Amino acid sequence: MVLTAVDERAEHTGLMPGMRLVDARALVAGITVEKADPLADQQALVQLGLWCGRFTPRVACDGADGLLLDVTGCSHLFGGEQAMMQTVSKRLTRLGLETRLGLADTPGAARALARFALEHQRIVKPGKVRAALKTLPVEALGVTRSHTLTLRHLGLSTIGAITRLPRAALERRFPPCGAENGLLQRLDQVLGNRNEHLSLLAPPPVYRWRLDFAEPVMHREGLETALANMMARLTVALKRGQHGARRLALWCFGIDGSMAERTVAASRPTRDKDHLQRLFAGKLETVDPGFGIDAIVIHATLVEPLEARQPLLDGSQQDNLAPLVDRLVARLGADAVLRPVFTERRFPEQAERFAGPGEAKTSPFSYPDLPPRPFRLFERPEPLQVIALMPDGPPRLFIWRRVRRRITRAAGPERIAPEWWVPHTDQATRDYWRVEDTDGHRYWLYRTGLRGNGVSRWFLHGLYG
Amino acid sequence: MYAELQTTTNFSFLRGGSHPEELVERAAALGLTAIGITDRNSLAGIVRAHVAAKDAGIHLLVGVRLDLEDGLSLLCYPRNREAYGRLCRLLTLGQRRASKGSCQLHLEDLCVHAEGQVLIVVPPPGPDMETFATRLAALRNRLPGPLYLATHMPYRGDDRARIAQLAKLADRHEMPLVATNDVLYHLPERRPLQDVLTAIREHTTVQNAGYQLNANAERHLKSPAEMMRLFAGYEALTARTVEIVKSISFRLDELTYEYPDEPVPAGRTAQQHLEDLTWEGSARHFPDGLPEMLRSTLEHELGLIAQLGYACYFLTVYDIVQFAKQQDILCQGRGSAANSAVCYCLGITAVNPAEIDLLFERFISPERREPPDIDIDFEHERREEVIQYIYKRYGRDRAALAATVITYRARSAAREVGKAMGLSEDTAAALADSLRTEGGFSEERVRDAGFDPADPALRMTLALASQLIGFPRHLSQHVGGFVLSRSPLCDMVPIGNAAMKDRTFVEWDKDDLEALGFMKVDVLALGMLTCIRKAFALLKRHRGIDLKLSDVPREDQAVYDMLCRADSIGVFQIESRAQMNMLPRLKPRCFYDLVIEVAIVRPGPIQGDMVHPYLRRRDGLELVIYPKPSPDHGPPDELQRVLKKTLGVPLFQEQAMRVAITAARFSPDEANALRHSMATFRKRGTLPLLREKMVGRMIRRGYDSELAARCFRQIEGFGEYGFPESHAASFAHLAYVSSWLKCHHPEVFACALLNAQPMGFYAPAQIVRDAREHGVEVRSVDVNMSHWDNSLEPTSGEHWALRLGMRQIGGLRENDANLVTEKRDQGYASVADVRRRTGIPDATLKCLAEADAFRSIGSDRREALWEALEDTPEMPLFDTHSESNSATRIPLPPLRLSEHVLADYRSLRLSLKAHPVAFLRKRLAPSGTLPAERINQDARDGQSAVAAGVVLARQRPGSAKGVIFMTLEDETGVVNVVVWPRTTEAFRRVVMTSRLAWVRGRIQRTGKIVHLVADRLEDITGWLSQLSENGDAVHQKHGPYAASPPLARHPRNQRVIPRSRDFH
Repeated sequence: MVLTAVDERAEHTGLMPGMRLVDARALVAGITVEKADPLADQQALVQLGLWCGRFTPRVACDGADGLLLDVTGCSHLFGGEQAMMQTVSKRLTRLGLETRLGLADTPGAARALARFALEHQRIVKPGKVRAALKTLPVEALGVTRSHTLTLRHLGLSTIGAITRLPRAALERRFPPCGAENGLLQRLDQVLGNRNEHLSLLAPPPVYRWRLDFAEPVMHREGLETALANMMARLTVALKRGQHGARRLALWCFGIDGSMAERTVAASRPTRDKDHLQRLFAGKLETVDPGFGIDAIVIHATLVEPLEARQPLLDGSQQDNLAPLVDRLVARLGADAVLRPVFTERRFPEQAERFAGPGEAKTSPFSYPDLPPRPFRLFERPEPLQVIALMPDGPPRLFIWRRVRRRITRAAGPERIAPEWWVPHTDQATRDYWRVEDTDGHRYWLYRTGLRGNGVSRWFLHGLYG
Repeated sequence: MYAELQTTTNFSFLRGGSHPEELVERAAALGLTAIGITDRNSLAGIVRAHVAAKDAGIHLLVGVRLDLEDGLSLLCYPRNREAYGRLCRLLTLGQRRASKGSCQLHLEDLCVHAEGQVLIVVPPPGPDMETFATRLAALRNRLPGPLYLATHMPYRGDDRARIAQLAKLADRHEMPLVATNDVLYHLPERRPLQDVLTAIREHTTVQNAGYQLNANAERHLKSPAEMMRLFAGYEALTARTVEIVKSISFRLDELTYEYPDEPVPAGRTAQQHLEDLTWEGSARHFPDGLPEMLRSTLEHELGLIAQLGYACYFLTVYDIVQFAKQQDILCQGRGSAANSAVCYCLGITAVNPAEIDLLFERFISPERREPPDIDIDFEHERREEVIQYIYKRYGRDRAALAATVITYRARSAAREVGKAMGLSEDTAAALADSLRTEGGFSEERVRDAGFDPADPALRMTLALASQLIGFPRHLSQHVGGFVLSRSPLCDMVPIGNAAMKDRTFVEWDKDDLEALGFMKVDVLALGMLTCIRKAFALLKRHRGIDLKLSDVPREDQAVYDMLCRADSIGVFQIESRAQMNMLPRLKPRCFYDLVIEVAIVRPGPIQGDMVHPYLRRRDGLELVIYPKPSPDHGPPDELQRVLKKTLGVPLFQEQAMRVAITAARFSPDEANALRHSMATFRKRGTLPLLREKMVGRMIRRGYDSELAARCFRQIEGFGEYGFPESHAASFAHLAYVSSWLKCHHPEVFACALLNAQPMGFYAPAQIVRDAREHGVEVRSVDVNMSHWDNSLEPTSGEHWALRLGMRQIGGLRENDANLVTEKRDQGYASVADVRRRTGIPDATLKCLAEADAFRSIGSDRREALWEALEDTPEMPLFDTHSESNSATRIPLPPLRLSEHVLADYRSLRLSLKAHPVAFLRKRLAPSGTLPAERINQDARDGQSAVAAGVVLARQRPGSAKGVIFMTLEDETGVVNVVVWPRTTEAFRRVVMTSRLAWVRGRIQRTGKIVHLVADRLEDITGWLSQLSENGDAVHQKHGPYAASPPLARHPRNQRVIPRSRDFH
């Protein structure tokens, strides 16, 4: 593993990107390491790019840490180029970002200035690009690394040094390489003699509909009809976008200026309009129309990808349980709908528990290959007095709730040791017995304190039937 | 009465939680009648168990758990030698048809090899008995022999019900039930470790492993009483274990190993043939008549060989050496028997027994019936030829490589256990450093790594990881240890595939083979032999001197003069920093001094505090006295015989052993135990016991207690890296030969050394520098002069000139270089000429340009690069002068010398033009930095001084308690820097990573040896970039981001200076 980025303090101690993590640790004790997530970085950059849509609609990403804003025809809206740069800088600083800005005739030149100019902000007047770039290092051109290295080996370390050379000589020595530009093409782009195509960011689809009523709606029925209408449009749009909704918000605007919000959630992405409509059924009842509602907005606030799926041959949809769970949760609350889940742990009270509907992982509820567990498991095992054979023989007689019970049959022991890897565990190994008393009742007992590990103690942990 | 018949050791990798030795010793302590080891489809751990069982006095049954492909498992115990052979063949069959480390067996295979085996079926763990029942019926029909059914008491809650169920099946199929405990570890405390192993095996964590882990800790070895109590009511089942043991007569001792008899001609016995060869050889070696001493030695040795029946062994080694000689492959034997007079006469070693008198019995002792041990070193480039010859000569069923057991080390143990405990990979890696090799961990180190040592999860991980250290991980082929036998090997030990194509290896490692008395020959690779062969070839071609290893002029005083000056760069073995410090103190004057020189700078003598007493006695500063027992305990000179050659100070491994035998009266068996615990630390527990034994007995016999303790410490030191006199002698010979070459033919030596790279301690830059300091003219790489290899060119002076070869150029391929040489004719006129005539790719042309290899054409690297870049279209018509002459007129900025030097380093890792530090002198001057030459010559002891240079090497010898030795090189020489741990802590980063360092400190001078003890260090690697074409001019004009754009800051760019060689 290698370092991909370091902060300022780390840099001062000599850490740098490209170092192996092991070496870094050997170098500086106690460094904090986060796993690099280039995908998340990229997403964050795209988000920031979209946010920059406030300055210009034409935004593109530049590498992993830069944005290109085409401000052609936009700057006057912000009071000119200088003022616009100030605004951009101020707004981004407010977001907690450090910025370097460059503004020039071409994307390549702006990029070179932002990344390699001496000043943090630099604006080059139209037509002055060539002069402004003269002293910048060749890296600022943005050609392939091997070209850059070769240029440096040739002693051509500034853009100015290159522009002085005859074009033909450069053409032959730095040809385009695959999809990458050759040196000349790139130089032309930067200097504005050749067009550079930007792949602009496009905003993600928004699922939001507004419906204005000609006449204020006074009744729930009216609202329901309107909602159904909008739900139909919403689901069509979701399908087109291959999305399913996880969370919906309904805003009802009253003529008196009031606004009521109702939200629903689905346990998995869905675009079944009837299902979504039903989720709102209980919620609509609680909306008080007051003097009348003159507009509603339905907004899918959380969507997840959902591919179009075919219905089964008999016309039904797969999985009928999920809609039911959603409706129960919508009506009763999330903590009222639970299901037992089974985890592979040895102590019975840990193996069984209840989980909410959102919890994804499920496993079949069974103890594989083990003797049967009691139908009723006590939440708190009850202490017993027992007479049993030592050291680990079967119990003969026990007293539970002041009643003596003589044991006629016993099976066991099933020895379960505690999970040693749980820190501070004070649990002891248990020997479980299935026993039957003279009345034919069956019990599940266990004993702790085996082999001289403390006093032997007995408990009743469950009942069979 | 009970015998455990189902035991899994940790040689069932990631299943068993205990070493075979632990299980066997525990079984003996519990009073079991016998213990059967049943690893999965493997006999890899059986020899260790066998040895431990003999020590512990318990009966061991040799067995295997056969896991068949259809899911059925059976325990298999061969009843006699023939059945054991069948079992080995069965396992060989299964392993050879599978990939390395696995085994594929089917029921049909078992049926073919079932005769004479006791088979115990292991029922499946689940409740599904029905399919199992049908399989049993089929099994019963196909296997006629005794067949049993295993039962356990695993505390599952339905144990007895299950036994009843199995009893029914057993009745129906006439398979008696037998009790086992399906043991996974020797003590219940090993349950956590076994759980961790399971998690590692299943690629999960213990938290998520669920029911893959066992519910309890019951699968440990239990006493007969406990087993009988558990199986109360089923007494027949426990009694049956003893019946089974009685029905099996096979013991591992029955394996009789015989040497191959290939090399013996018809009509002669091996002994006769060996004697013939020996006398023939002696006549060749001593044409003027054999000295009487040697004759009697030879007769004595031959007699001993005859008595022990080792003639075939010597003949086999002779045969391999003979093959190598025919093929002109340089080789030399070393090891216990190699330096005998017989081996000298047979040409196995070039160490003349007259120069060094080694007692043959020391290595082949009649009382220990252990096979002699000879390792043969071959040139590293040609060893494979020898290996393939051995396979061809003996066949794959009779020759195989020994195994090496790859065990968990601190790092791997911490990583794997950490992963299984759910720690992140980084955390686990950071924890590794705090583990001690001998077990346990250091809290201080844990804290250093930034963790809280009180954290229970962390403690648990560390404790488990330190238990895991020393556990076998997998088997691998030994680097060169061959087992050869007369009868097929697969009758004695399973043979499996190695990862490498065309290699097979037996399941046992060297210790195992030695324990059973198998013959092994180590066919090893040694870089120095390649170098020496190349040097001999050059000598023959350019100087007409034809030399062999054995006839390099002996005892040449000029050679020793050179060594006394510590002028030993490149010389075999004595070139390291520590050795170079020792040379002027030891002042070797004869061959045996070299033997001592090679052996003395080792952990053994250093830990035993034997170095200084020896040096003092050598210098006559201390009286040579021999420690002696009190008069009533033995003759006062009993140690004199052992220690005479080394002035009363034990230096060699054998001497330390002899001291134990003579002064502490160790019996041969005890001495053996001592030697074993020295060789490995797997018997960790035994060392303190042996210490008590040896030290105690020596004191009781009247020896000085301090001396006794030192002797034992030395033995412990040998444990880490045993170094016997016989090895030292062989190495010393190569050290002498390489010194002789260096002394008399420095250009030849440097050339051969460069052509044998990578090897040795020094990088090409130091080898070249050293050659130039010895008056050798070194010429630069050039397309019109160089070959792939470095070569020699005539000069007007005494030495030849060394022409650097194209192999020194980074990134250049040998084929392309050869093209350049082949098409050269009268020489190339231009870069385009090279391109046209050789057709080498542009990238190669650029490589050559960057190596500045076009000087003879009149272009420096920058001009050549500019030309090489030109993409000429294939137009034969315009070919002649396609390179536009205008190109040369393009005004490329000229390179400064400093830039050239750095570019040289980048491409060749050395520069003939200048040393990079030379360009920094002006900048270094204000801080008072002195050139190395001045420091080494003028600086007084205790004076403070400042040095700067390229870091050539960092070393942290295990015996130096954390002190780091750095070697700095500048344009005038080398400065040796000592960094104490406290200074290291303060300047850790500089000490560990800088390539160019600045050091201020105090001079420590002892004789000719000068050290700079650092108290302040700085990393000035960055200064170099200011010499490069990025030059400060460009740098400082731009903003902070631009001043160090990501490109220039990338570590790759700082790698102009090659990385130092660290911590060898």
